[in-house]
Amino acid sequence: MHLYDLEVAGESVQLSAQRALYLPRFQTLVVADLHWGKAATFRAKGVPLPPGVTASDLERLSAAIAETQPTRLVIVGDLLHARAGRHERTLQAIEQWRDAHASLEIVLVRGNHDTHAGDPPASLNIECIDGPLIIGPFACQHHPTAHTSHYVLAGHLHPHINLRGRGRQSLRLPCFAFCERGAILPAFTSFTGTGAYTPGEGDRVFAVVEDEIVQAAVARPAHK
Amino acid sequence: MSKHDASTTEVAAVSPIDKRLQRWFASKKWKPFAFQREVWDAYARGESGLIHAATGTGKTYAAWLGPVMEALAATPVKPKRVAKKQLAAATTKAPRATKAAARAQTEPLRVLWITPLRALANDTEQALRAPIEDLELPWSIESRTGDTSASLRRKQKQRLPTALITTPESLSLLLCRPDHAELFAHLKCVVVDEWHELMSTKRGVQVELGLARLRRICPELRTWGLSATLGNLAEAAATLLGMNEEGEPNAARLVRGFVPKSIEVEALLPQTMDRFPWAGHLNTKLLPEVMNRLRESQSAIVFTNTRSQCEIWFQSIIAADPSWFEFTAIHHGSLDRARRQDVEDGLKSGRYRVVVATSSLDLGVDFAPVDLVMQVGSPKGVARLLQRAGRSGHSPGRVSRIVCVPTHAFELVEVAAARDAIAAGNIESREPIDRPLDLLTQHLLTLAVGGGFTREGVLAELRSTRAYSQLTELELDWALDFVTRGGDALKAYPEYARVQLLDGRYVVTNDQVARRHMMSIGTIVSDASIAVRYLKGGRLGTVEESFIARLSPGDKFIFSGTPLEFVRVRDLTAWVRRSKTLAGAIPRWMGARMPLSTELSLAVRARLECARLGDFSGADMEAVRPVLELQAARSAIPKMDELLIERCETREGHHLWIYPFEGRLVHEGLSALLAYRMSQIAPISFTFSSNDYGFELLSPTAAPLIEALENGLFSLTHLLADVVQSLNAAELARRQFREIARVAGLVFNGYPGQSKSLKQVQASSGLLYDVFVKYDPDNLLIAQANREVLERQLEASRLGRVLHRLANSAVRIVHVDRPTPLAFPLLVDSTRAKVSSEKLADRVRRMTMQAERPSAPGATTVLRPFEP
Repeated sequence: MHLYDLEVAGESVQLSAQRALYLPRFQTLVVADLHWGKAATFRAKGVPLPPGVTASDLERLSAAIAETQPTRLVIVGDLLHARAGRHERTLQAIEQWRDAHASLEIVLVRGNHDTHAGDPPASLNIECIDGPLIIGPFACQHHPTAHTSHYVLAGHLHPHINLRGRGRQSLRLPCFAFCERGAILPAFTSFTGTGAYTPGEGDRVFAVVEDEIVQAAVARPAHK
Repeated sequence: MSKHDASTTEVAAVSPIDKRLQRWFASKKWKPFAFQREVWDAYARGESGLIHAATGTGKTYAAWLGPVMEALAATPVKPKRVAKKQLAAATTKAPRATKAAARAQTEPLRVLWITPLRALANDTEQALRAPIEDLELPWSIESRTGDTSASLRRKQKQRLPTALITTPESLSLLLCRPDHAELFAHLKCVVVDEWHELMSTKRGVQVELGLARLRRICPELRTWGLSATLGNLAEAAATLLGMNEEGEPNAARLVRGFVPKSIEVEALLPQTMDRFPWAGHLNTKLLPEVMNRLRESQSAIVFTNTRSQCEIWFQSIIAADPSWFEFTAIHHGSLDRARRQDVEDGLKSGRYRVVVATSSLDLGVDFAPVDLVMQVGSPKGVARLLQRAGRSGHSPGRVSRIVCVPTHAFELVEVAAARDAIAAGNIESREPIDRPLDLLTQHLLTLAVGGGFTREGVLAELRSTRAYSQLTELELDWALDFVTRGGDALKAYPEYARVQLLDGRYVVTNDQVARRHMMSIGTIVSDASIAVRYLKGGRLGTVEESFIARLSPGDKFIFSGTPLEFVRVRDLTAWVRRSKTLAGAIPRWMGARMPLSTELSLAVRARLECARLGDFSGADMEAVRPVLELQAARSAIPKMDELLIERCETREGHHLWIYPFEGRLVHEGLSALLAYRMSQIAPISFTFSSNDYGFELLSPTAAPLIEALENGLFSLTHLLADVVQSLNAAELARRQFREIARVAGLVFNGYPGQSKSLKQVQASSGLLYDVFVKYDPDNLLIAQANREVLERQLEASRLGRVLHRLANSAVRIVHVDRPTPLAFPLLVDSTRAKVSSEKLADRVRRMTMQAERPSAPGATTVLRPFEP
């Protein structure tokens, strides 16, 4: 597992195949759309989902932290899935995870799900703000809307790209999309639907391919 | 029931018919058929059984009049005047109080009539009512389906009618009532209409389970099934009647109903032979010939195989002669019920002379016979062709005729083959389903909501059905565990429980659980569908979500024979307005893509063998001759014991076209298996598509075919393991899980006006499948998905037989420089599965994504992220 380096808004940025983005100069790891407790929400509503989703997502988050050694973790929205998902057992698992990363500063920039699900318990020591959170040239926020002066790091869309190749091959993969004025991160959780991202002119798109990041080649648009 | 007809053979009456009924027959100038009397006598002796005959030949009254005569015998005198008056009042506009009184006077529930389509309920109700009104029996007859009004439902909650017409889903809903044992306490007879349609489906299993419950309540219950002719009638009867305590099938009487004199299958041929395109594709090219035939007839049904074809042909007919719009109609399962009803009524009254329909018109109570039946596209199966042919020349003794309209040259071979199979009496069987566990969990919830059950009691009851006769205690305990604790995976969540075990009884105490279960019962058949409505109001029907997802506001499409403009989607409804332009996409509906039956594929191979030897006897074979000769010239026509493989490289990649002629479902499984086996030799990625004749494996690099053949490409060793591996690789089980997840209550389709909280638990079944595979791989629902793909989707036993045949066949590999007539349909097929053994990142590096098209000036621009 290695990190993919690129330059964005004059800053060096690293992409992790754990679906996280690292800002080395600010020692900050940025992730989007964790949807903690989503499976628990299903169980609360009578859908017998096996446990393990949140636990495995937490493991991946730990792996991303081990890989980049940040002092700060920024979550750009949708940390908890729903109020019904605030199950004791889920929260316990999260507490344990938090204890293992006690020195890490964590900031949640609230997203639409957080408004409904509520802030995480105070014991988790997560700072919750409405955002945007300014870090150097970057504005961290949930929705991919333009910022007047800063380059936006956002989530919310759960983007994936569709790739095509010879022999009518096709693939769908979660991706990072870097546009002129902002970037969209893939959803961190694996238990979620995704939306197709169609790159605009000049966009750079990076697919998360198992344990690698691969830049996607763009076919020239067909002229009509 | 026939008009008095001297030619009808009459068997000496076994027992006398009630005088009142005799008079009724006389008043209609009708005379009972021998088979009807056979059923009535058997019914009177307490027997159950299955009546098989073509649609509309008196099966309904054969089943119905048994219970009626029983009631007549029990009421020797005419009903009292008061009651009669009140009864009469009940049918006219009487004050509510009188109506209620009349209702209370009628007999309690005696007969339950189960019909597969709620659209049939109305027709059935009318047919059953006719003799009851004339005989002045104190019986009430009502329907209860998803379409029944709330006010009638309320009345039925107080008291059910004497005869209730209902669907499998509505029967399950009735079993959810805690007082259902009292409701059914006086039940004498259950009639299951169109049993051949139900029996190899999960809804058929739902009927089996419902019947098992009813037999527990009323041990003397008699069950009669009505069925079209099948290859395995005894099995069909055994499935309907269930098992006795020794695990033997209950005794069943098979009654053969009226059989039409003869059936003629004709193929519509192009007037000039040179109109066959080289690839064989005709599409609607035979439209002029079809129009000519339609002009000659007074009433006609044009059957198509898919709903899309139905829309296409309706459009084409109207476009060819717009004046036909007045008397031409369209009928398929995605249209709104009111629209379908209008078409059915119109066909009967003569308002519509031409109806273009799918199998939605295959079933019916007393369909007005038409004088012309046409079948567009492949007949697919012998039984199905017979059934459709039976729509014409309805009156007994007349010839049934069907005109087949090929959309592809090879379908002419199928028509010739179907005629051969009919002559030889080779009719398809329908295989019953073996213990689907998703339905078991659903039924356990039904019983738990409807008053509860004990483990021992439910085990005996379940094993009295054919579907669950082999149910193991292990499987039952798994299902019980799944509905109570959510299965092994959830043992750490004691508060999670849909069903609770209280004093040895499994019950549901949570109202919310009960409500949601009842809402999900009806979802066995319905696919993720979206309602189509006009902005100004008016429902058109439903289309699949995936179709709507591809549309942007302003896009045009054709539905219900009407050009529409898509406006927006909201609350599971696609809002549309009428469009003036005729052009537009036609929705594609999944499902109902029937494969060619084994019987018909065998007959097709036999016909091809004749053709190979130069025998083109018959007008249809003569017509397809140029295309077959082109196939022989470019490649070959395979021998009976030979497997033809064509190889070709085009701009798209390397193609392998393989032709086992075994039907699409077998080809789906076979293509996944062969792709998997070849991918084990070298890293390679395949996409594949199949049709009834063969399949295509397409790869960016050449496939290691020769090496694979030398290593036992068709070998039966490791078959099961390889098939399971290939299914996983091709994600077929993941797709199959969609239906299972819905039946087992894991996915909610959502309802109009649903609360926000339900939206939080909407996830695609694919996502759920991934979660189960990863965190609870032993879940039996996952096992069922695998099994269903194996057994049904791929017809596993047939796959084994086919492999056996192929392993013993000579393989003939032909290199071709361009697609042959046989290959062309595979080349243009767009539904594809895939198998790959390459490293994902390597594949990604060779692929590209499509960037957004620069928008044309004036077009509505979609807002992009980060745009102010």
